[in-house]
Amino acid sequence: MKLLKLINANLILLCILISSILSFAQKSPKEKLVYPQLHKIEMPKIENVTLKNGMRLFLIEDHQYPTVDLRAMIGAGSIYETNDKIGLASITGTVLRTGGTENIPGDKMDKLLEGLGADIETYGETNATYAYVSLLKEDIDKGISIFSDLLMHPALPEDKIALAKIEQKTWISRRNDNIWSITDREFRNLIYGKDHAFSRYAEYSTINSITRDDIVAFYKKYYHPNNTILAAWGDFDVKELKKKLEDAFSAWPEEKIDFPAKPQVNYQHKYTVNFIQKNDVNQSHIQLGHIGGKLDDPDYPALLIMNQILSFDRMFKVLRTKEGLTYAPWGYFGADYDHLGIFNCGTQTKSSSTVYAVELLLKEVKRITEEEVTDEELAKAKDSYMNSFVFNFDSKGKIVERLMNYAYFNYPLDFIEKTRNGVEKVTKADILLAAKKHLQPDKMQILVVGNKNDFDKPLSSLGQVNEIDIAIPTENMPEAKKQQ
Amino acid sequence: MHLRKQKRTGVILSFLFFPLFLSLLNAQTFEKIKEKVKEHTLNNGMKFIVLERNEAPVVSFHIYADVGSAQESYGITGISHILEHMAFKGTKTVGTKDFEAESKVLDKLDKVYDQLSLEKKAVHPDSQKISTLQNEFQELKKEAREFIKVGEYWDMYDEQGGSGLNAYTSTDATQYIVSLPSNRLEFWMAMESDRFMNPLFREFFEERDVIMEERRLGVETQPTGKLFEDFFSVAFKSHPYHHEVVGHMSDLKQITRNDVKKYFKKYYSPSNLTVAIVGDVKAEEVFRLADLYFARIPSGPKPEPLRTEEPEQWGERHVTVEAQAQPLIIVGYHRPGINSSDDIAFDAMANIFGQGRSSRLFSVLVKEKKIAVYSGSFNGWPGTKYPNLFAVYCYPAKDHSSDECLKVIDNEISKLINESITEEELSKYKHQTKKWMYDGMKENSRMAASLTFNDVVRGDWRLTFDIIKAVDAITIEDVKAVARKYLVNKNRTIGEIIPEGKGGAL
Repeated sequence: MKLLKLINANLILLCILISSILSFAQKSPKEKLVYPQLHKIEMPKIENVTLKNGMRLFLIEDHQYPTVDLRAMIGAGSIYETNDKIGLASITGTVLRTGGTENIPGDKMDKLLEGLGADIETYGETNATYAYVSLLKEDIDKGISIFSDLLMHPALPEDKIALAKIEQKTWISRRNDNIWSITDREFRNLIYGKDHAFSRYAEYSTINSITRDDIVAFYKKYYHPNNTILAAWGDFDVKELKKKLEDAFSAWPEEKIDFPAKPQVNYQHKYTVNFIQKNDVNQSHIQLGHIGGKLDDPDYPALLIMNQILSFDRMFKVLRTKEGLTYAPWGYFGADYDHLGIFNCGTQTKSSSTVYAVELLLKEVKRITEEEVTDEELAKAKDSYMNSFVFNFDSKGKIVERLMNYAYFNYPLDFIEKTRNGVEKVTKADILLAAKKHLQPDKMQILVVGNKNDFDKPLSSLGQVNEIDIAIPTENMPEAKKQQ
Repeated sequence: MHLRKQKRTGVILSFLFFPLFLSLLNAQTFEKIKEKVKEHTLNNGMKFIVLERNEAPVVSFHIYADVGSAQESYGITGISHILEHMAFKGTKTVGTKDFEAESKVLDKLDKVYDQLSLEKKAVHPDSQKISTLQNEFQELKKEAREFIKVGEYWDMYDEQGGSGLNAYTSTDATQYIVSLPSNRLEFWMAMESDRFMNPLFREFFEERDVIMEERRLGVETQPTGKLFEDFFSVAFKSHPYHHEVVGHMSDLKQITRNDVKKYFKKYYSPSNLTVAIVGDVKAEEVFRLADLYFARIPSGPKPEPLRTEEPEQWGERHVTVEAQAQPLIIVGYHRPGINSSDDIAFDAMANIFGQGRSSRLFSVLVKEKKIAVYSGSFNGWPGTKYPNLFAVYCYPAKDHSSDECLKVIDNEISKLINESITEEELSKYKHQTKKWMYDGMKENSRMAASLTFNDVVRGDWRLTFDIIKAVDAITIEDVKAVARKYLVNKNRTIGEIIPEGKGGAL
């Protein structure tokens, strides 16, 4: 034992000696380091073609692993539902997959795909319906055949529609289980308004009113190749895959689609204080903000840098690091492709610091509209954006999915490079100007979800409080009554 | 080269569907990556594992500290996680305007805090004294703030283009991760060696408050958070999996900075740290710099292994949480740790029983009987290193109850025990596992996580790849044997969320 210890001690001594010999080369983290030249980002070759039937493809080869991923975006989002059928796009997206096709019923398809270690999933969201395929490359033919069959000839059977409705109604019954989801949902409602396409949600009545005929009609209206973009990446030969997709989808004819008008956002700025009582929590969830912007706004690069400063340099450092008030504060000017997003900031804090936290958030929003950010903040935010830009290109999937989104929303395919060029030029004055133009700190809508009995101050100290009732309308309650 | 390989593969595949050849093909892909992995252990015991790949000029770093909430005892629950937070607070040079002066104030602050704690716990607390100490404490806290460069550690990574800078604490481990543009390798070396050599746990009391908020956020205001915490405390009566990672509120309120220092000394010696680096870097360069930067951290003894074991269970246990929420049921069966020879059979069982649309639970509960909207099963709850739980869970559909679902689950469990799984199911498990292994290796960060995990917990990073052999070897009988041995009522805990006011009378 002793001997061992001695050897150990010697070893340690030796280590210390060696490290002291070399220590001239160690740098403290605060010393300036000289970095070698960063290897160039090698942009993969992207095959960008439109098939005869109008279906657009983005394909990238990537032979690292013997797998293939496909992702389709179909212009069949919930924005096209009517208010009495909320849930239609989502149910259609679900049943598309669970119902299978005329050739392969859904349950059989489940076994078949999972037997191959493959996945095909479809789901309807606000802007579009998505479908993805992920499989081993040796199964690509089978995969494409099932996938194209699903998009072109879905069975949409009654029993799976009934199942999807049970699922939808169950999630309705569970939508107040979690304080996060209550806050998110109700804040969207405050911004876009109840029953607006960007904030509405299904009720038992809207789900009950959806029939198979509605689903078939929705499918027939929107599921066409000219309304579909497909991205693929993985271990394939681009020419071969293109041919395979062309063949698989050749029987899918182009169809003119009579789109309803996209939902308009007519936002009126106003200051409001809103509250939802929850007596089983000891922490409040807070969101405040107003309408946001669009990605193609010339101010977007400035707002991007503003986000970074507002969220990380300010709200995080003030509310979390200095005050220890919260785990996750944020401030974010949201911008969407084709409609105005949401500007919001928020946090969660113990009931007894609720109003204080709201005041701190408001103060930070106000501050960024009143005075220029510092040189240090600007430099740091820009460095952060520029130096991490490379992470936009570290996977083929990321690259190709981004292109798919740009194409879907008619953005230039080099939008990300344009944004970077914009960011490079952003000045302190630009940020202040953009903040003044896009933020209205005196007209924020505030939402607090929590237990008012334990608040530090009454919420009314912030203004007249509008209490929101989140009780879930029961299944057989008539529509008229629910409105009251 | 590339073209030839493509062609050959194509020929083989067009001939056959035999799984044997598929396995060979898979094994080749895994072998090829495995060959590129290099390792190097420093003189102080710290191990570095490197995988070079050049898809993009980025690199992911993963530091795995072999310490988690399972190392904690009463009084210091949650300290692994507190330490993780404190590791972002900077060092003697990062995050401070004047380290020497700052240290002095912090030491004073600790002393006053200790006096305050003692006085508060006195049989007859002296309120006058408490108030004086409290004022002194607040003053010193303010004074300490004067020296701080707020968030400098984060800012420095941010400026360099750091992506995904974060850390995670689990029952088994504390893991520190970040990705950087690959030419910033030396920056990472300088930052992280400093971080674990010269930590200064500043802003301790502020951060403790943050962690209490994190506890409220994740446990106290979430019905599932409440259920899981109570579930572990019932399923594990002796083993420290008993308590939630975040720790008990009373401990969070009383843990001191000195507790953290002691804990750091005990568990953060270099021999308890393993690093994986995956991305556009050269292994030799990584090892050269690691020797330069990390070898200077003095070595320390490896911490003593955990003593307390979970004894055999004496009967079925139940736990319920009443909440303003809809029902949820979860059933946990004790199983051995990940290095048990039964581990892969459990993995197969979880897959066949409850993972995916064609799994047994989903097929029966959701698709056939329509009494649940989701049901599944998984292993490694709450950790994997020590004996843990095989868990089955179910979200009952609207107007259906947990009891109804449990009856069906029980029936399915008895089928697992009494009837064999099918060849088709087993083959599905093997195919899915391979596919998921590939998916898990694509991202640098996930690959790095996998290499450290396998090296520390399974004892060899090569198992990241070689585990596929054990998966291929698993048989129908293996799965049946495990089901028979472990899926008995006496060995399980049942947990439920019960909608408030329904008091268990469902």
